[in-house]
Amino acid sequence: MKPRRTPWFSYLLVVAGAVIMVVPFLDMVMTSFKGPGEAGRLPYRFLPEKFHLDNYLAALEQLNMGLLFRNSVIMTAVAVASVLLTSSMAGYALAKLRFPGRPIVFRFVLATMMFPPFLFLIPDFLILTNWPLAGGNDLLGRGGDGGLTTSVAALFIPFLVSGFGIFLMRQFIVSIPDEVIEAARIDGAGEFTIWRHIILPQTTPVLITLGLLTFVGTWNEYVWSLLISTVNPDLMTLPVGIQLLQSYLDPNQTLPIVMAGLVISIVPVLTIFLLLQKYYIRGVMISGLK
Amino acid sequence: MATVLHENEQRSPRGGASRRAGSVPSGMAKARRREAIVAYAFLSPSLLFFAIFLILPLIFAVVLALSAWGGFDLTQIEFVGLDNFAEILNPASTFVAPILVNTLVFAAGSVVLTLVASVVLANAINRLRFQGFWRTLYFLPIVTTVAAVGNIWKYLYEPSGGLINGVLNALGMSSVRFLADPDTALPSVVVVQAWASLGTAILILTAGLKNIPETYYEAAELDGAGSWRMFWNITLPLLRPTLLFVLITQVIAGLQSFALIIVMTGGGPGDATNVAGFEMYQQAFNFGMWGIASAMALVLFLIIFAITLLQLWLFRQRGEETS
Repeated sequence: MKPRRTPWFSYLLVVAGAVIMVVPFLDMVMTSFKGPGEAGRLPYRFLPEKFHLDNYLAALEQLNMGLLFRNSVIMTAVAVASVLLTSSMAGYALAKLRFPGRPIVFRFVLATMMFPPFLFLIPDFLILTNWPLAGGNDLLGRGGDGGLTTSVAALFIPFLVSGFGIFLMRQFIVSIPDEVIEAARIDGAGEFTIWRHIILPQTTPVLITLGLLTFVGTWNEYVWSLLISTVNPDLMTLPVGIQLLQSYLDPNQTLPIVMAGLVISIVPVLTIFLLLQKYYIRGVMISGLK
Repeated sequence: MATVLHENEQRSPRGGASRRAGSVPSGMAKARRREAIVAYAFLSPSLLFFAIFLILPLIFAVVLALSAWGGFDLTQIEFVGLDNFAEILNPASTFVAPILVNTLVFAAGSVVLTLVASVVLANAINRLRFQGFWRTLYFLPIVTTVAAVGNIWKYLYEPSGGLINGVLNALGMSSVRFLADPDTALPSVVVVQAWASLGTAILILTAGLKNIPETYYEAAELDGAGSWRMFWNITLPLLRPTLLFVLITQVIAGLQSFALIIVMTGGGPGDATNVAGFEMYQQAFNFGMWGIASAMALVLFLIIFAITLLQLWLFRQRGEETS
């Protein structure tokens, strides 16, 4: 709609809303520069008296950031790679190959999306704990000390395959013309070559979208990582570590350090999001309308 | 967008495979079998994963919900029928009230806030320049981890030194102990949940708004309708399917989310902000009550499942309307 007059009222609403969205983040950044004891002082002041950059160093030191980053990176990288690989492969089979049971498999994939993640928290944890021949377990999954939950694999295992990812890839691969695939087959290309050299290049934008959705979702994942970290603190991820730091420290003295830690943990995702925003937004639109 | 997906569905490629098989009549059956084997090879990693981490856990969840189990040796699992359900759904237990009640209040409250704010804002943004920029601002919390969102707001709510009470004090009001007071704790968390979901809702509603033909507004303008009448008589009715969608997905998300509760309140003070997901988590992983916790998970799932069926039913209605 293109009204002739300047929509003052709309501007007012949107700017007021934007202030409510952005001020909490600004408050976090400002607090991260405040000095010891300054954060809890009354009356409240938005700006720090002096910009204390050393809070960032303190956060890096006290948090064991190297370990947290390593765990978050492993968890996210494996999940993204696996989701992209399995989704495009399964999506290709469901979209372009003919095989008995295809409608059933497709419906099954759709059905997997109906089950919310919290339902799997307890059984997944118990399955990993009793995983045969892992973490000292015997063949029947007994006797060991934590099974797979003490391995770094526990962080990413529940996120390796995505029903939504398969569905998304299938929807886009369906629209690749059959003639292109047909021509490659006549030239003697096998299905793997077709997948690798036709399907993957043709679906690159969707792969970026799916990869980005998976990246943000896994990097920010909280409940499962928290659970795994309580079993083995060496597997702590960034979001969990930040929260732990918060509960360790005396809030009034060290709140700026916590806020500095939060800034450090947010920046990687925020940067990637801002760079690849259009792909992410398209993903949300698609998942919103699936 | 929904219609695009629908078209794709109909263009489902039977043609490709059969045409190929037809061109080599002698090897037709063999080619078909080979194609089926390749297809299942491509599907096998996903299907194997679903077998171990979808079907097996679902069975396990039901078995656990019907059993009493100490948590170590699976051979010592004891079948107790519906006892766990009887225990948690007993009116005297805390699961129904306050926990399930809190869960519904949390979901309903955040959804109402999100919906009202996102309709108003999506509509307003749609009239402005630099729409992408404005939507990005509203989208920031979506890409921020819940641990950060929760801690940022926890500090904003802080009675001594937090921004919100700072503003209240500057206006001459006394401080409110938002998260420490049982009366304000749940509404305070609800506001954060709504704040964090706003971006997605605005995005989806914007897509809905762009689908409303410009000509409707032009015709209404010729008839002398003002912006309010256009909003009530054109925008809202035509946005209804999108609104229903946002409503239902947000309700489902609200019913199951408890990460914000872990980060901000730990369910407290008392049980004031305890929700079903968090209670399930605690019963299982803090108290080792696997059976009780699994029964809670199933009850919550059934509630969500009923709402999902409602969603499918509404979509079917919508499909009939548009076709």
